[in-house]
Amino acid sequence: MLAGMIGAVRPRAGWQDLARKLDWTPSYVSPHALFPEPISGTPWLPQEDWADWDEPYKTTFAEYVATQAVKEGAVLALRDALGRVEDFAKLDKGWRSAIKLHAATLPLAEFAAVVGNLRAGRFGRDGAWRTMATFGALDELRHTQIPLAIMAELVRWDPQFDWTHRFFHTNDWVAIAGRHLLDELLLASNPIELAIATNFVFETGFTNLQFIGLAARAHSVGDRMFEKTLQSIQTDEARHAQIGRPVLEKVIRHDPAYAQYLIDKWFWRCWMFFAIVTGIAMDYLTPVADRTLSFKEFVDEWVIDQFVRSLADVGLAKPWYWDQFLAALGSYHHMVYASAYTHRATVWFDMPLPGPADRAWLADKYPATWPAIDPIWSRVTARWGEVEPDVEWYTHGVTPVGFCALCQIVLCNGTPTANTARAIEVDGRKVMVCSEPCEWIFKKEPARYAGHKDIVHRILAGEAPGNLIALVQQYFGLTPTDWGKDLEGGRYPWITRP
Amino acid sequence: MDHPTVIPLYGFLAGDCLGLVILVPADAKVGAIATTLIEAAITRVAPLARPAVFHAGKRLDLELAIAASGIAPLDRIDVREAP
Repeated sequence: MLAGMIGAVRPRAGWQDLARKLDWTPSYVSPHALFPEPISGTPWLPQEDWADWDEPYKTTFAEYVATQAVKEGAVLALRDALGRVEDFAKLDKGWRSAIKLHAATLPLAEFAAVVGNLRAGRFGRDGAWRTMATFGALDELRHTQIPLAIMAELVRWDPQFDWTHRFFHTNDWVAIAGRHLLDELLLASNPIELAIATNFVFETGFTNLQFIGLAARAHSVGDRMFEKTLQSIQTDEARHAQIGRPVLEKVIRHDPAYAQYLIDKWFWRCWMFFAIVTGIAMDYLTPVADRTLSFKEFVDEWVIDQFVRSLADVGLAKPWYWDQFLAALGSYHHMVYASAYTHRATVWFDMPLPGPADRAWLADKYPATWPAIDPIWSRVTARWGEVEPDVEWYTHGVTPVGFCALCQIVLCNGTPTANTARAIEVDGRKVMVCSEPCEWIFKKEPARYAGHKDIVHRILAGEAPGNLIALVQQYFGLTPTDWGKDLEGGRYPWITRP
Repeated sequence: MDHPTVIPLYGFLAGDCLGLVILVPADAKVGAIATTLIEAAITRVAPLARPAVFHAGKRLDLELAIAASGIAPLDRIDVREAP
């Protein structure tokens, strides 16, 4: 019976175009009512203008399900073989912190991407685009579930892994910054902005850092589980990321200035996210013996070369702040890591103090910028030498730090000699932003951002405690058990104590 | 007893990696800003020998009263080694 049914199915070529691109002329409602501009996005074009929308790689639902089932089976088998507590216990402690950083910041972000893709699956302006976005939503659901399934096993062993699920439900400062970016990127965006920001900039422009660069790192530290998980996810991303370019090309044809604006805005916002999540994992949390290319070298190869070529292919210019981006590439994640290390109780993973070998490697990889950063580590190292191990607070800040009103990240842009933060006034309210691009983004759409209070303004409004210990415990949701500490409690053979 | 009014400022110490929020008494002198910021960043930056305070591109006299300095809440203040 089944064989007969399968035999009756027409060849793929005979029906796929009709199935994947199911569009018709509505007769009961107007096209504007069916696809309202505020939800479907700008520019709002007549249906016939979208008719030639085309994704390069086409698939059917049957093929999708069959392929995904095989991939799921492979990941689950890998988890059974390599996802036990004892497997994670064998990994370097620093690398485990890299896993905790990724495990917290990505799964629920992927879930937000489910929502964004489902919106595109309904309000995208072309049938084939909607089909691809529906597959994209299923992909992102998978990317939510995989890390949750893997990390759930580890919570009983190490409570910091609980932040895999808890992170985005807290008011930890990193979670606030993450939500500020991802809510706009994935939950609030219309399908056009989603396609350009997420599919083109985030996925095509940046995720090779994860799927190639970080997967290579996972391989070199012996973390086959993380390596194979990334590779499995990458195959999904490569398929649905292709939504971006045909949407971008359509917007360029009708409103090139808007297309350039979206590229400029989202490249900067995505860059800062990856600088923290990937940059810190590559240059600090990976054991120095397992590092090959630096984060900057990966960005040079996998972001700059390819992304600039992609922009040129569609006739767009590099973002206007390109020189500032190149400068930040040598400094920003170093500034953030030094800030985070000296406020490590405000996050959910432990951090290593860079030792002589790390600092020599960083000096070699960042010859132009490291000399300004290194004295900070000399100072912190010297302070560790003045106290016994485990006296965390002597190398920990106790003063609230400033946050950018746009990106919600600590004020770390620029260099130790020239921090680029600036105070701006919006609707009579003074706020601080960390950089000229963040100021530009804020002022382009003030109504979108002005209502959001950064942590400093929450403290000043009495909504969050000003005392750091109270802030960490009562507002960020951390406890002495799970808040970040020095990875070795300050016990490093190269620290001299009297 | 009345508590003295404090002014929140964004402080940037030369050599540091981030901006800090410091609270200084409104009736203090400009020098108190330098003292407070240097103490707040002591984990990362060694105390400056001769700190100078800059606001809106101008170097301020450390003996000047903050109230007379033109500094307003949530302004950016830079503290650097005096030239």
